[in-house]
Amino acid sequence: MSEISCDEVLSEIEHYLHGELDPNRTVLLGEHLADCPPCFERAEFQRKLKEIVRVKCHAQTPEHLVAKIRQAIRVEFDVGGPEPPEGGHLL
Amino acid sequence: MYSAAYRLTRNAADAEDLIQETFLRAFRSFHQFEPGTNLKAWLYRILTNTFINSYRKKQREPQTVSDDEVEDWYLYSKMAEEGMEPSAEAAVLESLPDEDVQEALSSLPEQFRMAVLLADVEGFSYKEIAEIMGVPIGTVMSRLHRGRKALEKGLWDVVRERGLVRD
Repeated sequence: MSEISCDEVLSEIEHYLHGELDPNRTVLLGEHLADCPPCFERAEFQRKLKEIVRVKCHAQTPEHLVAKIRQAIRVEFDVGGPEPPEGGHLL
Repeated sequence: MYSAAYRLTRNAADAEDLIQETFLRAFRSFHQFEPGTNLKAWLYRILTNTFINSYRKKQREPQTVSDDEVEDWYLYSKMAEEGMEPSAEAAVLESLPDEDVQEALSSLPEQFRMAVLLADVEGFSYKEIAEIMGVPIGTVMSRLHRGRKALEKGLWDVVRERGLVRD
């Protein structure tokens, strides 16, 4: 039988799904979920919900924005049109 | 970063201005960035600070969620009460228009919206979110938990309005 209770598992599921539990605890919860269909169903629901929010709330960066920002930096810093040093891909 | 800016400001024009201002500020203070530390978190911290200082004033909104009646597993339980199978529950949520989910997220009070956005849309860890928002990790966890519950309630309202469950 599982070493942790369903209540414990469910109260930690958010952290588990976000990869925030330490490795031992992660294994324990994983084992419980594999053996406990009711907890597994809830965890799956929560995992899918998180994924739905991620996908549906993503916004595509407008193409003109990168050029616009590069231009603004060029104007303010009077530089010859550099790539933003690192963060450019973070847009 | 554009997703975050857009969800914070709730419109494209402000989102673009916010990102531009963020990068300009980052350039101006790049000497303060400590090499080897988390550049992405540093930029997002500038983004959130810029948003708070420049844009929030425009937007009057409640700063807290009243989640007293929202129990844990709210959405799961509500859908189960409708007799839905767990697999059907997720399918209903997937069928929601993107705009509905975005609106549900956007209508969360700012500090909760920011926490959920940084965690679940941008994929930052608790530690990174703590750095970005300048609060302890415990506060991050609490805001995330309450923010997600409030989001579930918002999504449930949408599901009902859309007539996706019998009522």
